[in-house]
Formats: sequence, structure tokens, C-alpha cells
Amino acid sequence: MTDAELIEKLKADLGDKVAEIANPARRRLFLKVAPSDIIAVTTRLHDAYGVVFLSTISGVDNGETFEIVYHFSTPETDFNLRTEIPRADPHLASITPVIPGAILYERELQDMFGMIVDGLPDPRPLVLPDDWPAENYPLRKDWKHTRPEEVIPGGKS
Amino acid sequence: MSFQVPIGPQHPALKEPISLRMTVEGEVITDVDIRLGYNHRGLEKLAEEKNWIQNIYLVERICGICSHSHATCYVQGVEKLMELAPPRRGLYIRYLVSELERIHSHLLWLGVAGHEAGFDSFFMYTWRDREIVMDLLEMISGNRVHYAINTIGGVRRDLDEGQKAKILEGMVTLRKRSEYYFHIGANEPSFVGRIAGVGLLPKDKVVALCAVGPTARASGWARDVRKEDPYAVYGELDFEVATADTCDVLGRVVVRVKELLESYKLCEQMVRNLPAGDIAVKAPRKVKPGEVVSRYEAPRGENIHYIKANGTDKPERLKVRAPTLANYPATVEMLRKGFIADIPLIFAAIDPCICCAERAVTLVKAGSGEESVVRMSDLRRQAIARHQNAPVKRNAVWPL
Amino acid sequence: MLNKLARWSRIKSPWILHLNSGACNACDIEIIAALTPRFDVERFGILLKATPRHADVIIATGPATRQMRDRIIRIYDQVPDPKFVIAVGACAMSGCVYRGAYNIMGGIDQVIPVNMYVPGCPARPDAIIDGVVKLLGKL
Repeated sequence: MTDAELIEKLKADLGDKVAEIANPARRRLFLKVAPSDIIAVTTRLHDAYGVVFLSTISGVDNGETFEIVYHFSTPETDFNLRTEIPRADPHLASITPVIPGAILYERELQDMFGMIVDGLPDPRPLVLPDDWPAENYPLRKDWKHTRPEEVIPGGKS
Repeated sequence: MSFQVPIGPQHPALKEPISLRMTVEGEVITDVDIRLGYNHRGLEKLAEEKNWIQNIYLVERICGICSHSHATCYVQGVEKLMELAPPRRGLYIRYLVSELERIHSHLLWLGVAGHEAGFDSFFMYTWRDREIVMDLLEMISGNRVHYAINTIGGVRRDLDEGQKAKILEGMVTLRKRSEYYFHIGANEPSFVGRIAGVGLLPKDKVVALCAVGPTARASGWARDVRKEDPYAVYGELDFEVATADTCDVLGRVVVRVKELLESYKLCEQMVRNLPAGDIAVKAPRKVKPGEVVSRYEAPRGENIHYIKANGTDKPERLKVRAPTLANYPATVEMLRKGFIADIPLIFAAIDPCICCAERAVTLVKAGSGEESVVRMSDLRRQAIARHQNAPVKRNAVWPL
Repeated sequence: MLNKLARWSRIKSPWILHLNSGACNACDIEIIAALTPRFDVERFGILLKATPRHADVIIATGPATRQMRDRIIRIYDQVPDPKFVIAVGACAMSGCVYRGAYNIMGGIDQVIPVNMYVPGCPARPDAIIDGVVKLLGKL
């Protein structure tokens, strides 16, 4: 099945759940969905299109909103599911009931962006150090790091 | 009575120095908990502050073993964003280096697997042969580990006739040595017996937990980005995807040995068919706004970079997912119901890297909180002792 | 007499501990490569040890990450005196490309005292062996 045929099929099948399907390059489909539909669309793709493999989840800070891109791949094509959640209320539903392998990526989103992933089986911090100050999310664009003073051993400072 | 065994924090790849906390009943592991973050360096934030060219050198230093994988994955993504078409000679040299890197990585891993299984002479043999590849890489790029051969729009160094001849010569030697490893594998029942049936991971679990690379292929899931999404030159080369269906460490060894042979074949094809012409084109300094998903088959599995540009000379977002991270959920599954003595072997089997395996392990007695320190090497010794008394698994055969 | 014996034994057979505090693995594989047939440091009596309690020399690689800082100090404290630290590679010396990242403390010398620096990204096995030998020469 070519990408164009697949887009037609997806449009007919998913209807208004998908706001927009873009195909910027061969084997790259970008689907835009509302955050409330993410589980429904993932389940449908998983059951009917054989989308079982999640490569990773990327988060992007767009200022007012956070953009989340789920990268799935199948032997035929790559599905990239895009959704946006407001920065003021960053709640996201977990897709771990459909794809258990998503857990590490979702925990990473919580750590790095301060999103709250609802329904995560294990929401503890994953990558940041134990003594990391709370409410500091390094990948937010407005978070700046000030380098601690370094001491050069044996003289010059 | 259950104990908790924390396996201590050291692991080399991107964010993957790892702390594994296992709950054990007697010798059997019942639960595993993962804590990452000991090697988390904040690379994705750093990448947003550097420009496109500087980032090549940054992503190359994500991992020292698959440094070329990350650099290539990043560069091919940026080239798509810039709508550049690198010359074919440049592409052939770039992917020749990536196949050589796969050879060096798999030889390294075979050595580690041998070492963890208590077969140290195998370790020394493969590492001796690895020096042949390291010499070839040094000859091509000028450095043993971080090759820095990629640039946006092509590669930085050309190949001459003498170097081509040396690469072909090296492949002949390596193929001869690899055949000797098959001979060892087929004639060493204790080695095969030690690795067969350890770290079982059925195919449905592989799919559910999104494992990648040789770990997935050893469970019969034939997924290889080079074949299913052929990037650059792989569409015109002849190779096969190596798989095994034993779902254990033996399968992972077999997959890697088969991939070694495929890589020798690929290197020879690329050297023989090296097109004439330039090696690089000039790249612009800024990138139009856009986004790209770049996939690459690293020695350990699928490597994926998501790059978003905002029209300046710096990326808006660079998301890196190294293959080892994707394999952690699968590792947890493999360790469950395994033996303490098999931890180093199973953990090494996803090819995290060598230095993690030689770390201090603290055994905490759950009731009293009493601690005792055990080392990985002691565990290895225990494992060897346990398997010495066990009858050789007669049904385990070397499948090559 | 006893001092002389101790000094002789220290020079003849330094046992090393490899400490990875967030390295990219490049220096680490070069250290392991120094143990294998091409370079073979065991002929000098240099042995790689798994536990700090057996080691004389810490070979540290990688920038010191925030999470590892306390662990590095703990490992350093466990090494019996006299102890020496060799920082291998550009990251262990200054942080290299990671200098300035939020989770990096800087070079390993920001956390524990360092006796010898081996530059390179990564340092070649020959350079690492040379570093150990130079350190022994100072004893």
C-alpha cells in the first residue's frame, strides 16, 4: 500500500478524529489528533493497521502549548501522531494500556517537561538526579541553567 | 524470604547509566526496577544552544561505540531539512564507515558475551581481531573511536586506491577469523550450553515492549531499518536480515555473528562499487522551518532522531532515542524468573556496554537492612560454579 | 626496608579501578582495549579490578554528573591509601562538549583530587598506558 492510498483509508476510517494528515516525505505520515482522542486513535491503529511498534515519544515546548509526537513504525510506513496540550494544564493520557513499551518515554516527558501523564503505572522520576529541585523542567524553553562556579585545582581561578 | 539486590549505577550510553533493583527469592529474580539518570548529561538542552555544525560533534559524543550512528542519523536528518543531496561517493564512504563500525561493535560484544559466560579466551580472540577494524577506521578517518568523518552534505575525507585495497584485505582476514569462531561455537558445548535458554524473551513480549535490534531479531522479529526503510545507499546493496528464533542469549550471539558476515559482504560491495566524484557539497548555514524523523540501524538497533528547525542556525528541538533505552523494558522482562548468576550475561546480551558489567553490587537483606557487597566478577564466578555442576544441556546445538 | 618493599610492590603491580562517571564509553573501550592482546598491560602487572577496595589507581572517565557526584566521592573514600587518580579523556579533564550542561559538575577534578591528566577524545590506549607509567615514575 502506498502512502497516498493509506491516507485515503485512514481518512475514511478515523473520520473527524484526525484533524489533518500530512505526508512530507516518503514513509512519513504526520497525523494530528486531539489529546482526548489519543488512546482511541492509538488503539485503532494498533488493532487494524498493525501499528505495534513505538519508536519514541518526543515533546516540544511551543510556548503556550506543549506538542507531543508519538513515533510509530510498521514495515510499510511510519506514523507520527501529533497532539498539543495547553501549558497551563498539561495533562495527557497514558498509552501504556495499548503499548506497554511506552512507559519509559512517558516518564521522561514527565521529568523533562513537567507534563502529567494520567494512568501511568509507575510515575516516579526517571532521568533527573535524586537531589533535583522540584518544579524545574529542563527542556522547557524558559528554563535557563546557570553554571556553578568552578574551582581550578592548584591555583588560577 | 525475598531480598533486594541493587545493581549499581554505571552505564555508558546516552541516558543509560542504570541502577537495577531486583527482588529475589532465593536465587530467582521476581521483580526488577530500573532507575536511570546517572549518565544523564542534558544533551538535548545543550543541542538547542549549539548550531547545526557544532551539533554533529555533540551527537557523536553520545556514545563512543556507535558514535558514527548518532552522527549519521543526525546528519541525514539535517540534510533532508536543508534539501541537500550529498554526492554518491560521499554517501558510499559514510555508510562504509557505518558498516565498519557495526563490525567493531559486534566483535566487541561477542568478546563481552564470551567473558560473561566465562570464556575469556574468546574475549581475547575477538578483541584481537577488533584491532584490525580499528586500524581500518583509523586509516580512513584519522581517529580510532570518534571518526568525525560526517559533515552536513557529505563526508570530510576521501578514500584512495591503497586504502581500498587495505579494506578488502582486512575483510578477508576477518572473514577467515569469523569462520574460526563458528568452529569454536560448534565444538564448544559448554559455551553453547551456558548461553542457551538464558534470558528468554518470547516474540509477543518483544512486540509489546518495543524491543529493537539484535534483541528483537533473536526472537524472530525480522525488523531492520536498513531493509524496511532503506536510507541512502542500502536500497542498492545486497544483504540479508539475520534472525534467530531461539529467543535467548544464544540467539543473540547467532544474530550478531550472522550480521558480521553480512557486514563484511556490504563493506566489500561498497568498496568495489565506490563511484567517482566529489565527496561533499556545500551546506547552508540556516535551515528552513520544518521537522524530520531520521531513522538509522545502529549496531544495537533502531536509532531515531526527531529534529525540528525554526529557521535559525540552531535546532528548535533535537530528540535522540538510542537503541539501548528501547531495550530496557525488554531487559526487565528477560531478567524476571531468571537467576542472579545470569544477570551479567542477560544484561550484556542487549549490548549495553562493557563498563557497566564490572560494577559493585550491594546485597541488602530485606528484613534487617544488612548490606553486603558482591561484585559482578563474583557473580560471574558463582555462575560458572553453578553451571560446572549442571549437566550440559544436550539438546542445545550451535545452529550455524 | 619495609618502605622500600612497599614502594617496589606499588610500582611493580598497580591495580586499577575503572570509574565511569557519565562517559560516552569511548574512553572506556580504549581502557579495555589496553588490556587485550594488542596493548596487553598485564605484562606490566597492571590489573583491572572490579572493587575500589582492591585498587591503587582510579582511572576516571567522563564528566562528573550531578547524580554520580556522591557516588564518586564514596568510591574514592573506599580506595585504600595511598591512592592516585588519573583523569582519562577530555571529558574527565574539563567536561569537553558537555561543559555547561545542567547535569554536569565539570571535570572529575571538581569532585575528587586528580594526580594525572591524559588528554584525548578519546585517549588512545598507548596514551593511557603512558599516563599510568608516568604516574608510577613519580612515585
